[in-house]
Amino acid sequence: MCRKSKRVFKLTALAAALLAAYGPALAEGAESSVSIGVGNWSDDRPQTGTYDGMRDSGTYGILDADILKRDDATGTWLGLKARNLGLDDREIKLDWLRQGNIGASLEYSRIPRDNPWTFNTGVLGIGSTTLFVPTPSITPGTGANVELGTVRDRFTATFFKSLGTGLKFNVSFRNETKEGTRAWGRGGAAEFAVEPIDSTIRILDAALNYSRGGLQLSGGYYGTSYQNANSMVTTSLTNGASPFFLSLPLDNKSNELFLNGGYNFTPTTRGTFKASYSQATQDEELGNFGGTASPLAPTNLDGRLDTTLAELGITSRPMPKLSIVANLRYRDFDDKTPVQGIVFNAGGTPTVFNTPFSYTNKIGKLEATYLLPQAFSLLGGLEYNAQDRSVPTVGTLWVPFRAEMDETTYRLQLRKSMSETINGSLAYLHSERDGSGFVLPSAGPNPAVGEPLQDRINPMNIADRKRDKWRAMVDWSPADRLGFQFVIEDAKDKYDGPNTYGLQEGTARLYALDASYQLNSALQVHAWYSRDETEANELTQQALTVTKQNDLSEVGNSFGVGVKGKVTEKLRAGGDVEQYRSVNKYEQNISGAVLPATQVPTPDITNKLLRIRLFAQYAVQKNADVRVNVIHERWSTDDWSWMMFPASGATPWAYGTTTDGTTVTQDPKQDSTFVGIRYIYKF
Amino acid sequence: MPDRSHCRLVRVLILLVGALLVVVGADTLSPRLAGAQAADAEICKACHVEKHDSYVGSRHGVKTDSRTPANRGACLVCHGDGALEHAKKGGGRGVGSVVNPGSKTMAADAKNKICLTCHQGDPARTHWQASVHAGRDVACTSCHEVHTSNDKVRDKLTQPYVCFTCHKEQRVQVNKPSRHPILEGKVSCADCHNVHGNNPKQMVRNSVVETCYQCHMEKRGPFVHNHQPVTEDCTICHQPHGTTIANLLKSRPPFLCQDCHASSGHPVQFAGPVTARGGSTGTLGTTARGCLNCHTNIHGSNSTQNSATAGRFRR
Repeated sequence: MCRKSKRVFKLTALAAALLAAYGPALAEGAESSVSIGVGNWSDDRPQTGTYDGMRDSGTYGILDADILKRDDATGTWLGLKARNLGLDDREIKLDWLRQGNIGASLEYSRIPRDNPWTFNTGVLGIGSTTLFVPTPSITPGTGANVELGTVRDRFTATFFKSLGTGLKFNVSFRNETKEGTRAWGRGGAAEFAVEPIDSTIRILDAALNYSRGGLQLSGGYYGTSYQNANSMVTTSLTNGASPFFLSLPLDNKSNELFLNGGYNFTPTTRGTFKASYSQATQDEELGNFGGTASPLAPTNLDGRLDTTLAELGITSRPMPKLSIVANLRYRDFDDKTPVQGIVFNAGGTPTVFNTPFSYTNKIGKLEATYLLPQAFSLLGGLEYNAQDRSVPTVGTLWVPFRAEMDETTYRLQLRKSMSETINGSLAYLHSERDGSGFVLPSAGPNPAVGEPLQDRINPMNIADRKRDKWRAMVDWSPADRLGFQFVIEDAKDKYDGPNTYGLQEGTARLYALDASYQLNSALQVHAWYSRDETEANELTQQALTVTKQNDLSEVGNSFGVGVKGKVTEKLRAGGDVEQYRSVNKYEQNISGAVLPATQVPTPDITNKLLRIRLFAQYAVQKNADVRVNVIHERWSTDDWSWMMFPASGATPWAYGTTTDGTTVTQDPKQDSTFVGIRYIYKF
Repeated sequence: MPDRSHCRLVRVLILLVGALLVVVGADTLSPRLAGAQAADAEICKACHVEKHDSYVGSRHGVKTDSRTPANRGACLVCHGDGALEHAKKGGGRGVGSVVNPGSKTMAADAKNKICLTCHQGDPARTHWQASVHAGRDVACTSCHEVHTSNDKVRDKLTQPYVCFTCHKEQRVQVNKPSRHPILEGKVSCADCHNVHGNNPKQMVRNSVVETCYQCHMEKRGPFVHNHQPVTEDCTICHQPHGTTIANLLKSRPPFLCQDCHASSGHPVQFAGPVTARGGSTGTLGTTARGCLNCHTNIHGSNSTQNSATAGRFRR
C-alpha cells in the first residue's frame, strides 16, 4: 500500500498556512488564467491606499493575466504575467525562455505613491521650479486642496545566453522615471514648498558567469546613472521678495567592475572571494543660485566616490560534526572629491568647505557549529569590525567625530532540529563597540560664555555601545494537523562615551505566537499574535547646564486569524481578519526639577488598523470561476504632527506667521469597504 | 603600548590564521551524492501523481535541457536511488532509504547539498555556504516549493508571507503607517536582500547605502554639503520595513536629531505641542516636518550660497 506524499517542510508548513490565509489568489500549477472584473471602494482611503492606486472612492477595473506555456519539443517557455492592468499600480511582464540556452524578458511596472495628507495652500507654481508664497498669508483653510505624490515607471529588460558548457552571459537593464511632487520646505523659514520630481535612474548589469565542477566565477560590469531634470527651485514671496534658492540633487553616475567566485577544494571545504571597484562621479555645473554664490565658489564639485571591496572566505567541515565559516572583508569607501572653499568672507578667505566623508572597514568573522547528540547543535561566532573614518579637517564640524571605531560581536546559539514534533533555537549575541577619542566641533565647549556642555554629545552612530540580544524560537507540531510557533526576542543597547549627552539606552522586545490547524483535507485555519515593544532613553541639553531626559516608547499589538477551504466541490471560500494597534509615548523630564508650565509634553499617539477580507470563488464551468472579494478597512490615528493646540482647541497647524497659511490635514478615521467581482477563465 | 591600528591588525591576522588552520585540517572525504540512475518516473507516479505531474510541468521536467533532472535520472536525482527500494517495498513514510528533502528529519545541509549540485552555479548562490541562512539550518525547501511552477517565494506578491514565517518583526512593521509598498507586491524582500548571499545584513549590494541607491540614487551625491550619516548607512535614521513616523524615520524629530546634535539653542529644544502659528525655531522642531521644516535638504545640499550657515541643509 502506498500513501499519498505529504508536504512536511519545517518552515513552509507555516508559510503555506500564512499564504492560505493572507496571500492573494494565484493560479496554481502550470494552469494559465485571465481574469476580468470590477470593484468599488465605498470611501476614500488615503492611508491604506497610498501605494495601490485606489486612494479615492469609486469603481475600478480588474484585469489580471497569468499565462505560462511550454513547448515540450523545444523546451521553450512563454510567460505573460499582468497584474492590476485596470489600476494605477499596473505591471506586466513578458518572458521568453529556451531553457538552458537563451532567454529574455521585458517588464513594465508602475509604482504610484499618493501622499496620504491633504494640503490646502495658496502657494503658486506647485510642480514647477518657481514657487510663490502668499504674502500676506491666506486665511488657513481657504486655499486650494492639492494632492502630492509621485509615480515611478520602471522598464526592465533582461537577456541571457548560454555560451557553452558552464559559460553563460547575463545582462539586465532598468530605466526608471520618477515624476511628481514632494512636500518640502522653503528652508529659510517654516514656509511651505514643493519639490518637483522629474528624474531618471538607469542601471545596467552585465556578467559573464562560469560554472563547472567545483568552480564558479562571475565577472562583469554594473553601471548606474541618475539624471534630474531640475537642479534648483526658486521660492519667493508673492511680490518676488525674499527669494530663496533651494538646491536639488544633481546628476551622478557610477561604473563598477566586479569578479566573484567560489571553488570547492574538497567535498567539505569551499573557498570564495569577491573583488570589485567602482567609481561614482557628480560633475554637473553647480550654478550660482540667483547670484548668491561667491564668485570664488567652485562652479563644479568634481565629486568622485571610489569604492573598493575585497573579500576572502572559507567554509569547511574538518570533522563530521564540526563546520566552520571564516571570512575576511575589506571595504574602502573613499570620497575623493577635492575639498574646496564654498563660502568666503569679505576678505576672500574661505570659511565653509564641502564635506567629503570616507570610511574603511576591515571585518574578520569566524563561526563554528558543532553537532551534539539528539540533533542538537551549538554555534559559536566571533566577528570583528575595524573602521577608519575620515574627520573633516577644515570647515565647520557640527557634531563630535571619531577617527576609528571597533566593534566585536560574539554569537552563541543552541539549536534543535530534525525532529517531527519540536524544533527550535536559543540564540544570544553580545557586541561591544568603542573607538578613538572624539574630535569636538570647533565651536565646542565654551565655559566662558556659560556653555560648558555645548555639543558634548556621543552621536548615536559612533557612540560606544554594548549590545545584548536574545532570541528563542520554537516550532512545535503536536500533531500532523496542528502546528505552533513561538518567538521571543529581547535586545538591549547601552550607549556610552566621554560626552554627556546622547542616546543612553535602547531596548526592543518581540513576542509572537502562530498557530495553524488543518481541520480536514479541505479546511485550514491560521492565527497569530505579535507584541512589539521598543524604548529609547536619551539625554539632551535643555538650556545651558540643564539636562533633559527623553523616554520614548512604542508598544504594538497585532493579531490575525484566517480560514480558507473548499466548501463544496465547486465552491472555495475564506477570509481573514488582521488588526494592528500601536501606542507611542514621549516622556520628557528635566533633571532635578519639574517641567515649567510652559513646557507641555507631547501627547501619546495611537495608530489602529483593522482589515477584514472575505472571498468566495465558484466554478461556473470546468474552466471558469467567478470570484467575489469583500474587503473592509478601518484606519484611525490621533497623530498630532500637523496640529496646533491653542487654548481655544486643536486646529490644523498653518505654515508661516504673516505669510503662507498652508495647512496639512490627515483624515483621522478612514473606513472603506471594497466589493469586487471577477470572472476567471482558465486554460 | 601598541597603537590601536596595530592591535586591530593582530586580531585580523589571528582570524586569518585560524581560518587557514581549519582548511589544513579539513577532512577531504565526504559522501558523494549517489549516482543518479535513469529511472522510470512512472514508478513514482503510481503513488505520487501530484508530485510527478508538478515535476513534469516544472523547469526540472524539461527534457531538452541537459542539466535538468529529467535528463539525469528524474526523481532519483533528488530523492536518491533508495527511491527504487522505497517503491519495491510498497512505499509509505520512512519505508526504504528514499531521500525526502521535504522531511523535517533530514539535515538542512544535506538537503541543500542536493540543490547546490546544480544550483551553486548561479552567481547569487556562490556564497550560500557562508550566508546567515545556511549557518542557521535554513534549507532550500524551507522557503522554496520544488514541485510547482508557481514557487510562492519567487513571486513578489506572496514572497513576504514566506519570509514572515521566521521574520515576525517585519510582519508587524509592514503594516505601520510609514512603509514601503511591500504588501502591494511592488517592493519585495528580495529587492533589497540576497538571502543566498553573505553581504552585511544580507543586502543585494555590497552595503546598505548601495542597496538603497538602486531606487533612491539621488541620495548618493556626493553633495557640496554632505550629511555624514547619509553617506554611511541609511538605517541610522530610517527603518526600511516600516515605522509610525513619516518617511520611515526610526524616531520623531526633534528626538531623532537630538541623538547627534546638542548645540545650545534651538537644536536642543523641548518637544511640545505648538500653540500658535509662528516661525520660532524654539518650537518648530516638533510640529509638521519637525526639524526638516527648515533643514529641508537633510540628505545633502548642493547650494553654494555665500552664507555662513550654508552647511545646515536649509538650501
